[in-house]
Amino acid sequence: MSGLNLREVKKDFGGTPVLKGISLDIADGEFVSLVGPSGCGKSTLLRIIAGLEEQSSGHILIGDQDVSGVRAADRNLSMVFQSYALYPHLSVAENIAVPLKMRQMSAWQRLPLIGGLMPGARDKKAQIGQAVMSAAETLEIAALLDRKPGQLSGGQRQRVALGRALVREPAAFLLDEPLSNLDAKLRVQTRSEIAQLHRRLGATFIYVTHDQVEAMTMSDRIAVMMGGEILQCAPPHIVYDDPDDIRVAEFIGSPKINILPVESRGGAAILMDQRLPMALPLQDQSDLRMGLRPEALHLSSHPVLSGTVVHMENLGSEIFAQLQVPGLYDPVVFRADPSERARLAMGAEVGLGFEPTAALLFGADGRRLRIQQPASQPEVA
Amino acid sequence: MSSATKLQQRTAWWLTAPALFLMFVILLVPVIVAGVLSFTDYSLGNSSFEWVGAKNYDRLFSRSTYEKMFVATFTYVLTVVPISVGLGLGAALLINSLVRFRDLYKTIYFLPVMATLLAMAIAWEFMLHPSIGMVNRTLEMTCGTILEIIPFLANGCADQFPLWLGDRDYAIWVICFIGIWQGFGFNMVLYLAGLTSVHRELYHAAEMDGAKSGWERFRLVTWPALGPTTVFVVTISCIRAFQVFDTIEAFWPQGGGPNKSAYVMMFAIFEKGVQQNLIGIGSAITMLFLVFVMFLTLIQRWLVERKVHYG
Repeated sequence: MSGLNLREVKKDFGGTPVLKGISLDIADGEFVSLVGPSGCGKSTLLRIIAGLEEQSSGHILIGDQDVSGVRAADRNLSMVFQSYALYPHLSVAENIAVPLKMRQMSAWQRLPLIGGLMPGARDKKAQIGQAVMSAAETLEIAALLDRKPGQLSGGQRQRVALGRALVREPAAFLLDEPLSNLDAKLRVQTRSEIAQLHRRLGATFIYVTHDQVEAMTMSDRIAVMMGGEILQCAPPHIVYDDPDDIRVAEFIGSPKINILPVESRGGAAILMDQRLPMALPLQDQSDLRMGLRPEALHLSSHPVLSGTVVHMENLGSEIFAQLQVPGLYDPVVFRADPSERARLAMGAEVGLGFEPTAALLFGADGRRLRIQQPASQPEVA
Repeated sequence: MSSATKLQQRTAWWLTAPALFLMFVILLVPVIVAGVLSFTDYSLGNSSFEWVGAKNYDRLFSRSTYEKMFVATFTYVLTVVPISVGLGLGAALLINSLVRFRDLYKTIYFLPVMATLLAMAIAWEFMLHPSIGMVNRTLEMTCGTILEIIPFLANGCADQFPLWLGDRDYAIWVICFIGIWQGFGFNMVLYLAGLTSVHRELYHAAEMDGAKSGWERFRLVTWPALGPTTVFVVTISCIRAFQVFDTIEAFWPQGGGPNKSAYVMMFAIFEKGVQQNLIGIGSAITMLFLVFVMFLTLIQRWLVERKVHYG
């Protein structure tokens, strides 16, 4: 086990930059998710870390050793593939044993038939058998060891792929969207199992996903990638509460954050011609944006935003309602308590307020504007 | 049983009847007739025949002509099948690893498959002519050079180069060579098709698992994935090898090679059954031929069901 460091890793595909200088330090035993929309370069980055693809420039260090130019087989990493990539002709036990056989047995000992006659082959085979058994027991697939991958369900195959990764002790585990082929229920279950596995093994995990829920629930830190860059790498709650970039704020969180146009005029924030009680120590600017999470908005009798309820999603424990506000193109989503259901109905006219401290301000370039609000600021009524 | 079900069953039989009839008349009856005739001394044009029991089969396994037939046939099959399958696989793997000129190589290797074997045989006959043929002329050019240290060339220069088609030690091997030259392009195409179905991510998984050499990746991923293709290629190659006829008929229309060294089964059937009008013995060889092919097909079925992994 060891940490992993990326230094200015760049990748071009035929002149098109896919990764634009990625630097990331991953501590020993950390669970880091690379999350982003498809095409953001997250899988390419994982494959470069694995050594399956070569970076155009930059360095990768595993445990302070530069592995640039070292082939994948020699990097001591394990990978779980999206398609699982199990060897279809081998049984589950044989599949899990492959990484150990390839690394611990000589080419002669691996030969069919006569391999077993080579000195030391039997002892090694027995050791490998034990390692396979304990990996299978960890993942509760001991009953499946004699089956072929074709006879397994998607969830079982996924476990076998995990088993093949964890049967030896690699420097880090690389997981490339391992849950994307599972159905929703199984995904939730496997999600927590992988998180538990990480806690138990204490190993370094790098997990690629496009699903922000997976990233939020499992990771120690999330690296949000977009357009070949890491926009922000921080623990889940920071990425959610304190995003650095408007794209991070928009990508993380479901339902999506509300983005409203704001102006700064005379040191105050103006939202739809209303002066908000927020100090803006900025020059006058008209193209600022404000992000408001659905839970930051609440029903208010002295509203900042008012409009018509156009859609409601009742999840039982909470209600997400969409409010069409005159002058705004997208409806504003807010979270309401089930006790407020009486006040909400399709077509009802309601007003919303929010605390200024909950508002996230972004500049014209999408970067976050962090403005210290006085703590005693009264709530926007 | 209700009348509707009965009617449906009767209709089903009526609808399958033409296919059953044709299958019976075109495929099964000739086999049965050949089987029956193989126990007679029938000749085409005779009004009657005598039952001779297993005499035809007895001859097949006792006369030296037929011993030569088996030797030639099995020499050909056991040489051509492994080499043409191996070369086909090798060529497919090499072409598959190419970035450019794939189609060019594919076309070149596939050309002999498309060519008419009879015409090709005539071209080969000219090339292998003992005195004016291209092959021996080329070999003569090595005389007096350093290459003469090779015993084969030294002997050739001192005495004479092989007669090839006229030499009983070389004839069957020339036939084998032409068979391989002509056949491996077909196997290559089948293997190329098989290679496209190998999942690319499996190679990455093999690399991550520590399979460093190309040979290890081949054993772990490529070869198992090509199992179904290999069973098919080997069976097809065997059947084609058992059926070799054109080259032998073109080179030696009378007799099947010097001292019957290239007297393969198909040629024997043609010679006995057609040229000499000995339908009985011709049928017996045909039945034996059928047994070999059936045997191969059964082995293929067994392999497909037991050993080969699909999917």
